[in-house]
Amino acid sequence: MWLLPILLAVGAAERNADLVLRLQRRDPRALAELYDRYGRLAYALILRVVRDVGAAEDLVQETFLRVWTRSRAFDPQKGAIGPWLLAVARHRAIDYLRSADGRERNSVEFEETDHPSLFTGMEQRIPASDRARRVQAAVEKLSASQRQVIELAYFEGLTQTEMAERMGQPLGAVKAWVRAAWRNLRHQISTAEASA
Amino acid sequence: MNCSELRDHFELYSLGLAEEPERSEIRAHLERGCEVCMAEVKRARELAAILASTAAPLAPSPKLRRRILAAAGAQSYGFGWAPALAAVAALSLCAAVYFSGREREFSQEARSLLAQARSQNIELTRLDEAFAILYGADTTVTSFGEKQPKPKGRVFVNPSQGVLLIASNLATAPEGQAYEMWLIPRGGKAPVPFGMFQARSDGTAMHVQLGALDVSAAAALAVTLEAAAGVSAPTSTPVIVAALQ
Repeated sequence: MWLLPILLAVGAAERNADLVLRLQRRDPRALAELYDRYGRLAYALILRVVRDVGAAEDLVQETFLRVWTRSRAFDPQKGAIGPWLLAVARHRAIDYLRSADGRERNSVEFEETDHPSLFTGMEQRIPASDRARRVQAAVEKLSASQRQVIELAYFEGLTQTEMAERMGQPLGAVKAWVRAAWRNLRHQISTAEASA
Repeated sequence: MNCSELRDHFELYSLGLAEEPERSEIRAHLERGCEVCMAEVKRARELAAILASTAAPLAPSPKLRRRILAAAGAQSYGFGWAPALAAVAALSLCAAVYFSGREREFSQEARSLLAQARSQNIELTRLDEAFAILYGADTTVTSFGEKQPKPKGRVFVNPSQGVLLIASNLATAPEGQAYEMWLIPRGGKAPVPFGMFQARSDGTAMHVQLGALDVSAAAALAVTLEAAAGVSAPTSTPVIVAALQ
């Protein structure tokens, strides 16, 4: 049941173009609509990263204002605004976490990886709701070590070297878990999609 | 490195976590338009977006929606998340959020610094929007309060971009109240809410309301003092009235 907002959020590609065009025209109702579609998902993601309600709400605000001010760089026909917004949300949260932990911030790299032009040609390939369920199922099938490295990477923004330090494990072992985790995810998702 | 050797690194790259030498290698492939790597990075970004769904489902405070729209110079449209969902979310948050004392200290210190940076970022964005209206080719300027002790200032109206109000001698709003701007249409129609703002302690204020407007149908812009949550129709005498040309 809780997947419903996600499914609604990532499954409406054809409405995205209209939404982006209205954002680009600075239509305030478009920002309200964008928030209604993605606000909850962005908040859940950010809170999972920073584990602080106040900071999470500040970062959600920052995320939406960033998308609002940068939407003119977005391709309304090909762009996938949901994945872009979630990338911005995650990057803001990880940046906050890194700063709070005294770790080196990598805002420059995030600038490189969350530019709106990079989020094109997504969502339309398959029904997004099915894909979300497949990813959920695939993550649940990972081994404990593999799931842990995925979570450390995705929700804590740790590099493999940082994961090895955090886990007290050899870097080689961590790299093997990371490699196996992504391979398993890719394999399980593609297998599920092929049989769907 | 060739594309297949990079295959296990696209996800980390898309998350901003790839390390050297793979990061530079992927970057080089992308810069030279390697279609294989571009497709892999796109797939990895898509996967990364969907991984967000593995976070526990929690809803933000209903006030956040209004806060975001106000910060962007927009109104609050619709009703946001249903109150029942908010209540469930609040209960879930109590169970989900965990702090250690040390983490809290670090977190608070970092939050304070980041709040300053964020506030400055938002202010810069607002200034950017204000300049866009100020220097717009179609912008018209109207002064108000010139023969009064207070408040006084100017409104800049751009049909395609919005309205910028700059005022001085404006009293600080009492606790729980804020200034609300209104577009007064011609023909005696009801005033249209045009965003809320606060005066600074020195009596100055700047308010940007983004969005296209039909200037020919607008008679004036007015400002009233209202409850901080905003109202849908003015409830007090305007402190500013600027008749549009």
